[in-house]
Amino acid sequence: MLVFWQTVIHYLYFVIAAIIAFFFIKNFFKREKRTNLVYDIVYAYCVIPFVLRVLFVK
Amino acid sequence: MANEKKEKAPILASKKVKIIILVCVAIIAFFGGKEFWELRHFKEVFVASDELTEVKWLSDYLPELKNSWFDTPIYVFDSGVEGGSVFIMGNVHPYEPASSITCYVMLENIHVECGKVFIMPQGNYSGSTMGSTGGAYPKFVTVKTEWGEQKYRIGARESNPLDQWPDPFTYVHYPSGQNLAYQDIRNMNRTYPGRADGTPTEMASYAIMELLRKEKIDIAIDIHEASIMYPVVGTYVAPDKSLSIAGYAAMSLSEYFNMKFEASPKSLRGLSHREWGDYSQALPFLMETPEPFIDRITGPITEEFMLEGKDEFLAKAAEKGLTYVPYDIEEGQPMWYRVGRHLSGAAEAIAWTSYFYPDIVVEVEWPLFEDIQANGLGYYLHDPDAPENASKVQVVYHKPAAYDRTYQDLEAAFKQ
Repeated sequence: MLVFWQTVIHYLYFVIAAIIAFFFIKNFFKREKRTNLVYDIVYAYCVIPFVLRVLFVK
Repeated sequence: MANEKKEKAPILASKKVKIIILVCVAIIAFFGGKEFWELRHFKEVFVASDELTEVKWLSDYLPELKNSWFDTPIYVFDSGVEGGSVFIMGNVHPYEPASSITCYVMLENIHVECGKVFIMPQGNYSGSTMGSTGGAYPKFVTVKTEWGEQKYRIGARESNPLDQWPDPFTYVHYPSGQNLAYQDIRNMNRTYPGRADGTPTEMASYAIMELLRKEKIDIAIDIHEASIMYPVVGTYVAPDKSLSIAGYAAMSLSEYFNMKFEASPKSLRGLSHREWGDYSQALPFLMETPEPFIDRITGPITEEFMLEGKDEFLAKAAEKGLTYVPYDIEEGQPMWYRVGRHLSGAAEAIAWTSYFYPDIVVEVEWPLFEDIQANGLGYYLHDPDAPENASKVQVVYHKPAAYDRTYQDLEAAFKQ
């Protein structure tokens, strides 16, 4: 049972990570607040690790 | 108002500029990632002793580990003479490299007269591929020899999060149900006896338990290093069934250096010195040497510090009686000293076990503390590039998974 819930939580984390990655990419291209160029760099910096994981670059 | 500040207009980037930013950040990530890549894919090599009889893999004991970064080689030396069996493991915490270097010295120089010896130099292979670069640790440590330098990796304490992610808020140890720190779910010395369908670290721990049970290991030695401000340093840790042997071995070693012995606590679960003994017939011994490199109050954490172990802040702490082993900045705690301690520590544990249990006879030889002290550490490491050693070179590298093969092909293509 413990293994089952652990597996469920494990996949849940991946789903949450996917949602966060989606919003990072969405906000990178289109956002209403914090529109300065500096934030573009910050968003780009945050997006790259997700891209690497999706590409299985380890 | 006259004093009202004028708000600066934000510098807006067009979609094209955003893409350029993304590409620039990807280029920076490439150069940063290259460092991690180098560490993860570094291959340690050694020249095996002529007595090597077989190379096994951890996945032989749990096939699910095959093609994972937890699969790791186990070198078997069988004398062919009936006797006991010994299992020796290094680098279960890969930021304690004296443990793996001890294994390499054994692997290169071992002579087994009676019984069978299993040596696993990279206990937590995944952890060895991560490094502690976030803690400003150097990536590698090199040992000088007569023929050049032998390079080893400085890994991390836990398994690589690339191989096991995410961590829970609290790690619940199986099967005791004890609550441990969240990161200990990737600490192989907190996940014994493990489980076949658990996390990758638990699976690797389970495979080690299977090795102990299936190979009927009599003596199991887990090699570690510890910070000198941590009480369990310069010591054997053993459960009740092997504690007396550890005591005698410690007394024998006092001729050369101070070695304590401590009882394995029954209430702290998941550690080798507890679970190896409880879940198999083996007599466990965990050994710790003083590794100032991982103390928290030191100056710059450099490769030289890893090799020499000299630090003025620790010397000050020792003056105030805050360290658990004597510490002299003139001598430090050099790598040769730590490796020598482990070599003699393992030899004494084996010798005294044979004395206590005459049916567990293992006669084994490798360089001891006094040999390393006299000749230096590099003296016992052989040149893997020398033509006479070509057939004896072993590469300590996991069997690559499918996607890694693609990278290997790419690497080969680049070399061509």
